[in-house]
Amino acid sequence: MEIHDVISADRCRVLHSRTKTEALLELIEIVGEENSVADLEALKKEIFYREQIMSTGIGQGIGIPHVRFPGMKEPIVLVGVSPKGLEDYESLDGEIVKLVFMILVDENHHKEYLRILSLIVQRLKDDGFRKGLFGAETDKAVFELLTGGEK
Amino acid sequence: MNGILSFFSSHVSLEHINALLVLGVVLFGGTWAGRLFQTWKIPQVVGYITLGVLLGRTGLGWIDADTLKNLQPFSTFALGLIGFMIGGELKIQTIKKYGRQFTTILLFESLGAFVIVSILIGTAGWFFFKNAAFAISLGLLMGSISSATAPAATTDVLWENKTKGPLTTIVLGIVALDDAVALLLFAVSSSVAGILLGGGADHSLLPSLLNLIWEIGIAVVLGVGMGFIHYRSIRSFADENRILAFSIGAIVLLIGIANFLDVDVILAAMSMGFFTINFAPRRSKETFKFVERFTPPVYVLFFVMVGAKLNVRGLSAITLFMAGIYLIGRIAGKSVGAILGALVSKAPGSVRRYLPFCLLSQAGVAIGLSIIAGQAFVGTLGDTIVMIITATTFIVQLAGPPLVKIAALKAGEVGLNITEEDLIRRSRAKDIADKDIPSIPENMDIGSVVKIFAEHDNLYYPVVNDEGVLMGILPIETLKDTFLLSDLSPLLLAHDIMERAEFTCREETEATEITDIFRQRGVASIPVLDGEGRVTGMIEFRRMQQHFARQLAALREKATALEAN
Repeated sequence: MEIHDVISADRCRVLHSRTKTEALLELIEIVGEENSVADLEALKKEIFYREQIMSTGIGQGIGIPHVRFPGMKEPIVLVGVSPKGLEDYESLDGEIVKLVFMILVDENHHKEYLRILSLIVQRLKDDGFRKGLFGAETDKAVFELLTGGEK
Repeated sequence: MNGILSFFSSHVSLEHINALLVLGVVLFGGTWAGRLFQTWKIPQVVGYITLGVLLGRTGLGWIDADTLKNLQPFSTFALGLIGFMIGGELKIQTIKKYGRQFTTILLFESLGAFVIVSILIGTAGWFFFKNAAFAISLGLLMGSISSATAPAATTDVLWENKTKGPLTTIVLGIVALDDAVALLLFAVSSSVAGILLGGGADHSLLPSLLNLIWEIGIAVVLGVGMGFIHYRSIRSFADENRILAFSIGAIVLLIGIANFLDVDVILAAMSMGFFTINFAPRRSKETFKFVERFTPPVYVLFFVMVGAKLNVRGLSAITLFMAGIYLIGRIAGKSVGAILGALVSKAPGSVRRYLPFCLLSQAGVAIGLSIIAGQAFVGTLGDTIVMIITATTFIVQLAGPPLVKIAALKAGEVGLNITEEDLIRRSRAKDIADKDIPSIPENMDIGSVVKIFAEHDNLYYPVVNDEGVLMGILPIETLKDTFLLSDLSPLLLAHDIMERAEFTCREETEATEITDIFRQRGVASIPVLDGEGRVTGMIEFRRMQQHFARQLAALREKATALEAN
């Protein structure tokens, strides 16, 4: 599996939000528009409950909110770039978060869930790749940077 | 209203209602009485018999002679089932192991009772009636009847208490077989009495003995034959209900034929049970399980009728005195005989000490023989025998079962014959749950979770929130998937990989319900919760099975240890 298998152009955005809550809602709104999740309110609850247990800001400017959720037909990965950064993300290293990958997988697709998480974390280890994304200015640029750099 | 009443009185046959009404009251009331006595720690059999006494000829007279006659087939059926079940206990292995002890103790205890009762009753008879021939005849007949021990009540107590061990094995063997000794002694005694008293033509010794041996032989042949046919037939049956119906059918047919040919029903059914357990081992376990399931209502009916049949009204002082003598002689004879027999055959200590308490019961065969005596020796002799046996059966049937229970308890054999189903039936969630299993907080990182798995034996852990409320289950398979993804460790919490708990239970939930969920739903673990949803323990199917297996092994070991001392 490669990144372009799980990412589509219309699920990549440059975020306008300045806070973590707004940013997460902005991403969830995408699936809301697509109508690909039956119970949007429940999804919101899940995402925020998970953040409440422990922040998904893993450091180096990255946040990866992820949940397994009943009734998903296929895994969904939503990507948001916040050029100015989200200051209240509470990441492990205290840095502001500029890149948010939201991962939604059906609750029974445990292995796929781990595979996607692993894939994205691996890819983001590349400093140049990460920094390039931080500077993306349009939705299209985000998508192209994500998929173009792959071997 | 009047119209309805008159319709009923003119259109509904009273006898028809009564037969069903009697059955209903007997089964319903009997079961209820049995439960009541059980809560008082008295064997349920005593409850059934007491109800019978209350409803029967001694008490209210509601179950009269006609009703008893109508329900007689049920009694015969019950005896047949008892015989079949006892036969099923007699594995050839067991007989080989206990065979010498069986025969030695059997001979000593039955002959002990015969000799002592004959002497005591003979002496008392001479004292009261001043007639040597009469006294000797009475003594011999009573002596031979006294040697019989009723299997039904005794075995019912043993089965009720799930006993296992040398005492149980020897008691089962003896109560089943000493009826044959009693029949033999009675045949001899009644011939001697016939010669002494000069009454009747058909009292010569040899023909009646040959006749008896013939009857026993026929019974055995019938039982083995039916066992063979039954075995051949059920070999191809897979459907449980069909096996049940066919097995009961075969037993009833055997009982019917035995009854028709006038041979011993218990012996015939026992032979069938013996054949089935020893020569058709593959299907016999199921057969006995099904038949056993079928027995409770028949037994209740049987014992209530035993009670109802007894009539202790109109006893004379002499009969009461003789009954006392008979009782003392029988108990003394059986006890001394049993103890001597156990010593001679080097039976385990528990058998020597407690067997005497298990041999008091006297019912069907004794009553039957007393009635035969009453018909063969019309007049004072016959009447005295019937009255003595009735009065003593009354006492012995009420006092015998509790003594059997005490003996089995003292011998340490109660509760050792338990199956996994019994254990499950009496357990609740709190008995089988792992209570000190650590709960995994949902915000625990995977590294710490791995540590918990490494330090404990469980394969499934409850995941809880900071209030201890269950959020999910973490199975080892799920955790294993994360082993190769060490990069993810800061990102993954127990919450992210836990699975939803499909089923939960409370501490009081019955284990039967829990095993049903395990078996039917393919779940591997069930968390135990309190009223607020907080985890108090975890039940893992695998560990529950181990728990029961360990308990069974311990009980089995206990039973084996009993044989050693």
